[in-house]
Order: sequence, then C-alpha cells, then structure tokens
Amino acid sequence: MTKPVLEMQDISKRFDMTQALDNVSLALYPGEIHALLGENGAGKSTLIKIMTGIYKADSGRVLLDDQPVTIQNALDAQTLGIAAIQQEPMIFPDLNVAENIFVSRRQRSLFINWRQMYREAEKILAQLDIKLDVRSPARGLTLAAQQAVEIAKAISLNVRVLIMDEPTASLSAHEVRQLFKLAMALRDQGVALLFISHRMEEVFEIADRITVFRDGQHISTRLRSEVTTESAIRDMVGREIEKIFAKANVEQGKRLIEVSGLSKDQAFSDISFDVHQGEVLGFAGLVGARRTDVGLALFGIEPADEGEIVFEQQKIAIHSPVQAMKLGIAYVTEDRRQLGLSMPMSIVTNITLPKLREYASSVGLVDNQAENEVANRFKERLSIRTPSVELEAGKLSGGNQQKVMLSKWLNTKPKLLILDEPTRGIDVGAKAEVHQMINDLAAEGLGIILISSDMPEVIAMSDRILVMREGRQMGVFERAEFDQERILTAAMGQTIATESST
Amino acid sequence: MRFNWQRLRSWEGLLLLLLIIVVIINVILSPFYLNLGNQINLFQLSIEKIIVALAMAFVIINAEIDLSVASVMGLSACVLAYLFDQGYSMGVAIFAALLSGVLCGAFNGFWIAYVRLPSLVVTLAGLIGYRGAARILVEDRSIGEFPDWFDALGQQPLVGPIPVAIIIFFVLLIISAVVLQRSMFGRYVYVIGNSLDVARFSGVNVKRVKMTLFIISGTTAALAGLLLAARLGAVRGNTAEGFELDIITMVLLGGVSIFGGTGSLTGVALAIILILNLRNGMSLANITGNTQTGVIGALLILSVLVPNWTQIINARLKRRQFQRTQVQEGG
Amino acid sequence: MKTLKRLIHPDQIRELVLVLLILLIVLFFGSQIENYYSPRLFNRITTSVAILLVVAVGQTLVVIMRNIDLSVGAIVGFTAYFVGQQLAANNDMSPITAVLLAIGVGGLMGLVNGLITAYGRVPAIITTLGTLAIYRTILVDFSDAQTIITSSLPAWLVELPSKNLVEFGNFDIRWMFVWAVLVVILFQLVMTYLPWGRRLYAIGSNPDAAAQAGLPVERTMLIAFILCGALSGLGGFMFLARFGNITVVAGLGLELQIVAAVVVGGVNIFGGSGTMLGALLGTILIATLEQSLLRWAIISEFWRDALLGLLILLAVAADAVILDRLRNFWARTEVETLSDIEAEPLKETPHAL
Repeated sequence: MTKPVLEMQDISKRFDMTQALDNVSLALYPGEIHALLGENGAGKSTLIKIMTGIYKADSGRVLLDDQPVTIQNALDAQTLGIAAIQQEPMIFPDLNVAENIFVSRRQRSLFINWRQMYREAEKILAQLDIKLDVRSPARGLTLAAQQAVEIAKAISLNVRVLIMDEPTASLSAHEVRQLFKLAMALRDQGVALLFISHRMEEVFEIADRITVFRDGQHISTRLRSEVTTESAIRDMVGREIEKIFAKANVEQGKRLIEVSGLSKDQAFSDISFDVHQGEVLGFAGLVGARRTDVGLALFGIEPADEGEIVFEQQKIAIHSPVQAMKLGIAYVTEDRRQLGLSMPMSIVTNITLPKLREYASSVGLVDNQAENEVANRFKERLSIRTPSVELEAGKLSGGNQQKVMLSKWLNTKPKLLILDEPTRGIDVGAKAEVHQMINDLAAEGLGIILISSDMPEVIAMSDRILVMREGRQMGVFERAEFDQERILTAAMGQTIATESST
Repeated sequence: MRFNWQRLRSWEGLLLLLLIIVVIINVILSPFYLNLGNQINLFQLSIEKIIVALAMAFVIINAEIDLSVASVMGLSACVLAYLFDQGYSMGVAIFAALLSGVLCGAFNGFWIAYVRLPSLVVTLAGLIGYRGAARILVEDRSIGEFPDWFDALGQQPLVGPIPVAIIIFFVLLIISAVVLQRSMFGRYVYVIGNSLDVARFSGVNVKRVKMTLFIISGTTAALAGLLLAARLGAVRGNTAEGFELDIITMVLLGGVSIFGGTGSLTGVALAIILILNLRNGMSLANITGNTQTGVIGALLILSVLVPNWTQIINARLKRRQFQRTQVQEGG
Repeated sequence: MKTLKRLIHPDQIRELVLVLLILLIVLFFGSQIENYYSPRLFNRITTSVAILLVVAVGQTLVVIMRNIDLSVGAIVGFTAYFVGQQLAANNDMSPITAVLLAIGVGGLMGLVNGLITAYGRVPAIITTLGTLAIYRTILVDFSDAQTIITSSLPAWLVELPSKNLVEFGNFDIRWMFVWAVLVVILFQLVMTYLPWGRRLYAIGSNPDAAAQAGLPVERTMLIAFILCGALSGLGGFMFLARFGNITVVAGLGLELQIVAAVVVGGVNIFGGSGTMLGALLGTILIATLEQSLLRWAIISEFWRDALLGLLILLAVAADAVILDRLRNFWARTEVETLSDIEAEPLKETPHAL
C-alpha cells in the first residue's frame, strides 16, 4: 500500500460542554475515495473544519507526507493542497466563471492577463469534461454547475486532498452521475477524496473505503467490500434499526384538493392531480423539476397564473400564504435555515408564528403562557429533544429543527400538508421519526404532498407518485406500478433519449 | 424579548453602569445638576430627537433604516410655517404638517415594502428630497410669530414644571415598550428583522408591517417637527438638519443591532438618558456642543468595538489556556 | 451569439441608459433654457464634476466591497481647511507638497475608518457615522471658528481651477477635470486588471466565500478605506482650490451627494457590482441636473434637492425593476445553454485500492 497523503492523528476537539472529537485518527491515501459516515453530531464536520483550518484542534497531529504540519487558516490548507467543497458552493455571483476558478490562486504577475486566464480556465474545464462559458458571470448557474466550478477551482490549486461535504444533497440523480464522474477522474489522477453523504447507496457506489464516526469517536474503517449497508448503519447508530419505513395503508377519505391545468410562467405548466384525506401523494423528480414551485403556488407564495384548484369542493384561487393557511394548507419548506425557522428566536416563537393571532388579545397583546403550553405539547408529541422551549431554534440539531418546523405547521391544524424534502440532511434516527410522523398524520386524515429527491423514501412513503420534469408532469404512478427505474426514467424524460442518441 | 436576553441584560447593565458613573461625575462637577429645572431642561433640549428615536428603534430592529427622519421633521415644521404664513388657521396647518409626515412615511414605505428597494437608498433619497421640499416652501426665510398657545406647547410647563413634550415622550415610551415587547406587531417586527423570508413563509404580511413601520416613523418625525417648531418659535429651511445622526446613535448605543433582529426599548431608553446626561455634564463642564457631538460619535463606535474586542480576546485567551492545560496534562 | 449576448449584458446596458439619460436631460434643458449650450455652463459642470468625481471614485471602491463611507464630506472639509491653513501660513509650499499633504491627511483618516471597520469588525455605516461626527468636531476645534480666505492663499492655487489643458473655442477643458478623469481611468484599470481590484468585487459579492477562499479580506478592506480617504483628501485639495474661502462647514452633506452619484451610476449598494465608468456617468448626471436647474427660470433654485432626491429614487427603482428582470432573463438563457450540454452516462469503473 502506498503512503498516506494526509494523516490526522489522535485529534481531539471540545466545544464548551461537548466533546466533538475524541482522539480520532484518519488516514487518506492518494487515489482513493474515502467515505466518512456518521449521524449528525458524530464529528464529521468538526474534523473537516480542522482539516481546512477553520477550527484548531485541541490536541493531536496532522501529517502531510509524513511531515507534521499546522493548518492555521484557510490559506494554509490551500497551500498544503487541501480543499473542501461545501454543500452550498462558495460562489461569487458577480465574478465570471474563470475568475471563480482562479479566485484563490496566488497571483504571480502584477496584472491580470484575462486572455490567459480564460484559456487556462477552459483547459481545466475541458480536462474535467465540463462545458461552461468561462466568460459568463456565475450568477444564475445551477447548483451542479456551481459545484463543477468548485471542483475546477480545487484542480487549479493542484489539490491533493479534496473534501466533499454532502455534495449530492441538492443534486438531481443525473447531476450526481456527473459529479461522480468528476470524482472518479480526480481519483484516477491520484487525488485523495474524502466523501461525506447521508445517502447510503451513493456511498456504496463510489467509495473505496468507508470510515464511520459516532459521537466524536472513530468506530471503524474498512474496505467497501467488507461493509454492508446494515453493518454501516449499525456502526453509525450503535444499534440495529429496521429498514426504511413504509406507508401504512389508511382508509382514504374525501377528496381534499383537485388541481387541474395548473401553470406558472417560467416555472411549470399543466399540472393536474388530486389528494384525498389520509393519502400521501409523492412528488418525484430531479432537481430543477420545479416541484417546489408547485408547492409554493399551492401555498400562495408564488401564485399560479393559470389552472383550477378545487379545495373541499370549492373552486378557489390562492393568492397569499394567509389565505392558504385559512383554507388549511401548510407548506413545510426544504430550506430550514433561510425559509423555515428564525434561528436566533426561541422554539416557542417559531412554533406559534403562523397562528400568532390566536394567542393575542383583542388589542394585540400576546399571551406568553398559552404559547408555552402549546409549544410544550408539541415538544412531548414529537419528542423534540431540548431542555426548554425557550431555547433558540438555531441551537438544536437538524433533526430537532425539522420537528420544530413540523410543529409550527401542525399547529395551524392543516388539512393538506405539503412536505418539501422533510428528511434532507437529518440523521438516520430522526429520519425514521419523521417517516413515523407522516404515517400518523395520514392516519389522522391529513392529505399529504411529499416532495422528495430521496427515491427510496418517496417509493416507501407514498400512495401515489407524481413525476415531474422541468416543470412538466410526466405521469402519475399507482402504488402497484412503483419501480425505481421507471420513475427515474420518467423523471429524466427525454434526457435519456438524447443521451442514448449521442 | 425572550431569546438572547442574557446578553441583552448584560448590555443594558453596562449602559446602567455608565449612566451611574456619568451621574456621579456630574454631581461632583456641578451642584445644579440634580436640580429639577436642570433635569427637565436636559430632556427638553433634545426632546424631539428622543421621540423620533423610539420609532427608529422599531425600524432598525426590523433590519431597515430611516435616514429621512430629520428631513421629515424639517418638512413638517416648514409645512406648518408655510400654511400659517399663508393665513390658514393653526389647526389646518398642524393637520397638514402631520399629514405630510404620514405621506413621507408612506412614500418611503411604498418603495421599500412593495418595490423592495433598499431602505438605505430610499431614505437617503428622502433625506435629500424632503429637505428640498421644505426649502421650496420656506425658501431662505425664517417664519415665526406663531400664536402663543402653540409656542407654549414647546416652551411652557404643563403639569407642574413638566412641559407637554416630555409628557408625550414618556407616554410614547411606555406605548412603544409594550407594543415592541408584548404585542403581535412587535413580534412580527423582530421576526422580520431576523429573517424576512421565514416571516413571509409563515404567512406574516411583511409588506404591511414594513409599510406601517415607515408610516409610524414618518408620523412620529412630523410630530417631533411640530414640537421643535413650537420650542424654537421659528422655522427655517434647515430646521432639524443633521438630527438623523444623533437619533440613530441613540438607538444603536441602546444595543439594537444595525443588522436587525435584536435590541430592546429598555436599552434604547437607557442609551437616551445616558446621552442626555453626558451632554448635560459636558455642558456643565463648559465643553462645546461641537465637541459633545464628537464624543457621542466616538461612543457610537466604541459601543460596537469594545464588545467585539472583548469577545475576540476572550476567545483567544480561552483557547490558549486550554492548550496550556492540555500540554500540561499530556506532559 | 454568445459574444453578442455578453456585449449587451445588463451592466453594459446600464451605462448606456445613463448616457442616454444625460443626453435627454441636456436636450430637455436645451429646449427650455435660452442659450443653454454655452461654454460657461459646460465649464461650470466640468468644474463641479471634478471634485465630486475623485471622491466618488473612492466611495465606489468602498461600496463595491459592500461597505459605505459616510465620513467623506468631513474628510473633504478637514483636508481643505487643514491644507488651506498650512498654505496660508507658508505661501512657499510647493504644489506637490500641498497635494501630497492633502492625500496624506485624507489617507490617515481613511486608515482610522479602515482599522475600525476591518479589524474592529464594526459595520462600516456605524464606523463612518461616528467618524463623520468626530472628524467634523476635530475640524471645528482645530479651526477655532476661523475662516480661510482666498487672499491668504498662494496665487498658483487660486488660479488652478481656471487653468486649462486645452480650449475648444470658449469650451475649456480644465486641468482639474482632466485630473479627475485620469483618476477614474486609473481606478477603472485597477478594478479590471489588478488582483486587488477583483478581490474587492469578490468580497462584495460573497464575503463568507471570500474568507473561506483564503482572500485577505481585512487587508483589502483596509486599503479600500485608506484609498477612499486619500481620494477624499485630494477632493479636499480641489475644494480648497475652487472655493478659496473655507469655513468649518466645508463639505457638509457632501457624502450624501457622493453616495447618490455612486448609486445613480449603478454601483450596487449591496456590493459586488459597479464600475468607475458608472460612477463617472452618475456624477455627470447629477452635476448636469444641478447646474441646469439653477438656470431654469420656471422653478426656483430651491427645487434642486427635491428633484435630486426623486432622481436617486427613480434611478434605483429603474435599476431594480428593469435591470433585475433583464438580469434574470440573462441568467435563464445562461442556464438554458448549460442544459444543452449533457454528460454521457457514467461507465462503471471497477476500482480497487
């Protein structure tokens, strides 16, 4: 076996009360893709932040080519050839693609030679087989294209260790393929890749070795061939957990909503479906399928231009969230941080926000005690793990934040619940709890629209699945017809046809 | 507010400590300082600014800013003077002056809430434009000779030795505190200030809240402009020019973050009292008004700089200490 | 096609629109005011543009980086007064020394702004709101309420504003205007060809990413503030030359006009985009409007500020509403061209360690 390029030895890191990392070691070899698994809070991001100089370790050593090195800041990491691609790419929207690629390269000459820069950028992109106009501004690039730019940036820095933190979380299946292709190309050039993902199937597809962390400790490092999904999950949670949840069969009630020919300029067109009480309608599709836009239209944030909505036998048009809430529609966003929760504010403030009027007296003063009671009820019901409902929402783990968001919307007593990527970025345990919740809610007679890019999840949790592609409806599948390949084919639509023809 | 209140309390504690120090120094400096007359005078000299500061606190907590308040104050005073000069009754003039504040606020609010332009730019345009409108009305004249009862509003004591403007301030202070800390509207102001999109996605009518805020700000400024006209007894085109600096300083010194979302009226009230006493003390010590402004400017910067630095230094010390103990344990 | 699309990119269109707007204003007043196209007016506009312009260039540096400098008016006033006083006391001081003195004093004040903002992590609006008061206070205390008068200044300085580089008939191209334009060109080049200039855009565009990419954010910010102060100092020198009589209120409120010019010139107040050329056009637009209104008989000169306020608002609103739409349109076409390109399906490459 060759020598490791980067070795982290006995790293420890403590934040106030929590031991984020406890004597953890990890060695990365040139030309390998090394997957790092662990539930949220296992210490993965802390390790990455130490590798890239954002945090400093309390103790332990970092060796690069067997030489001890210190990484004080982002610049040090760069000079040593360590780069990271975040889940949200760090892109400069006002700079063009070429500038984004070379943004952190130390300048050798006094002036910028634009022509040469474009040429070099084109060369790097060609080498990676990415087709992008290097002169166009990065504003408006898709997430996948932005990540491609980040990878090109890493290459331009002669990266030796590339860390990819949940790079696929927001990508469509097709884009994931492209990313994996890039990753493998890099591996073949001798780069060591550290790959972090919550999606088991991806890890098993691409990783050469798999390391599992749990509670800040190193649990195992094995070759892929020696690991099974079950054993990996066992290592992650420290216990056996059942396979992915399945939607329980629920007696379906009345038709809740019927949508026909719903269209919005520049977003989607001619979407038709219905949802019954107790039914889960899955929305499958790749990223860019505009499923979220349909959700936003139903919730009145970005109202549709055309089409008919019949809600509980009433023909209506939805113009605003206030109106949607009154009808009994709730939309739980995919973007917890930006759109879902006010992170610096307390859990209770977040939960009561949409229905604040109900806790206010006639002159508009808020009854804090009533608010607290409600919040505490949800804390019990959804087992939100927090010492107090007055804690800031931002201090909770991802899974618990998701539960707060669910509480917030359940408190509006919705009839139709739109869940947009409800399990993205939360750990296995919390994911199962959310699935249980969906089941319970359906049993209570709620109609649920489940937008999810996690294919096994949609298939397991839905009664029917509507597949979208680039704003168009590609079909509705009944439970008996569920099949990952068929749904994916529909979601990719003509892409497959053009691909096979080229 | 419930969240973060540990930090706020400590900030307010710091203001209180500073205030006590200033008061003690003032008492030593001048035997007249604690006289009721001096205490009232200290309030009265800046009463218009501190009334506007209350509304400004709401605006900044909402993560916006209103640079146009001083110009609205000037415009309101000029509308009053112009109409009075044209022979209208005082009642009509006062009504029109207040209305001008409502309209300016609504105009700002329209561009900010509905067209979603940055408030910094909109109210900067307002600062220039409303001042311009005031100049159109009074040009380079000075208009005064208002009826006695009007001047009395600003100059004569109403209840015992207390003039009406001070009473207005304390009434507004209590109302604002209750609205901000306890009411639905106040909650919305905080939530929007923290994250506008979260509020929008929770069905909060963000546009209406912002519009209301700017109308409140404009109206309060117009009211303050009237009180200023009454106290000064005469109005010029440059009345209240440059007041926005003092007003914003009071709010920021009160612990309201310029990025919105945090701050309390307790802090703002303490900052106001601190600034007034500081200025009063400096006057008693024969320091010119100009130097006082410089001191307030320095105070504004220090109010953000010092907490930042202590935080950075603290973090550094902690880390070093920790590393040392680690080394000792290891060795 | 792609090149064509780039050429008519929204940011270029913005500058084109400004040029058209200036032309429209000129044509409008030309039809309203008798003898409008006179050399005198032209000379007036170029002279008043010159001072605003050098300060606007400094402000643009700061605004592109997602900051703002409200203390420029106070810096202009202070340097004008300070240099004026030195020159009055010492008439033999060489012009170069005087200019360097102004730039140095301004730069020092900018340094204070920059240190507090970049290293003290105080938001620029708070820092410069504070130093605006402090610098003005220093000026008032320093001056002891005395006024600098023209007659005490050396002759070369008093004559400077009317010195021409070339003349076309009665149309003078004045040295001060040429300097100002040279400053614009110099900084336009800096912004395009120096890594430091691109870094300003990067920081303004995405400050977090800039820090993560290992860019020297603090240092870049500090330099921008120093330059803004230094250019304001140069503006102060030109202010002194033009007006001669300097009181303690010199440059009062100038920061508003400067920020207005920069914003009208299309520099995004939230950083990341904008050019020196835009700042130049914005300044010319405002100066033209101002000087023309002074001569328009229909309305009194008191209308100037009210119209200026409205103009700023309309410029920004037009920018936000129309250009945003355009920009989105462009972004979309960009994405469409991207989606034309599809990678071939992944081949399974068995790989063992």
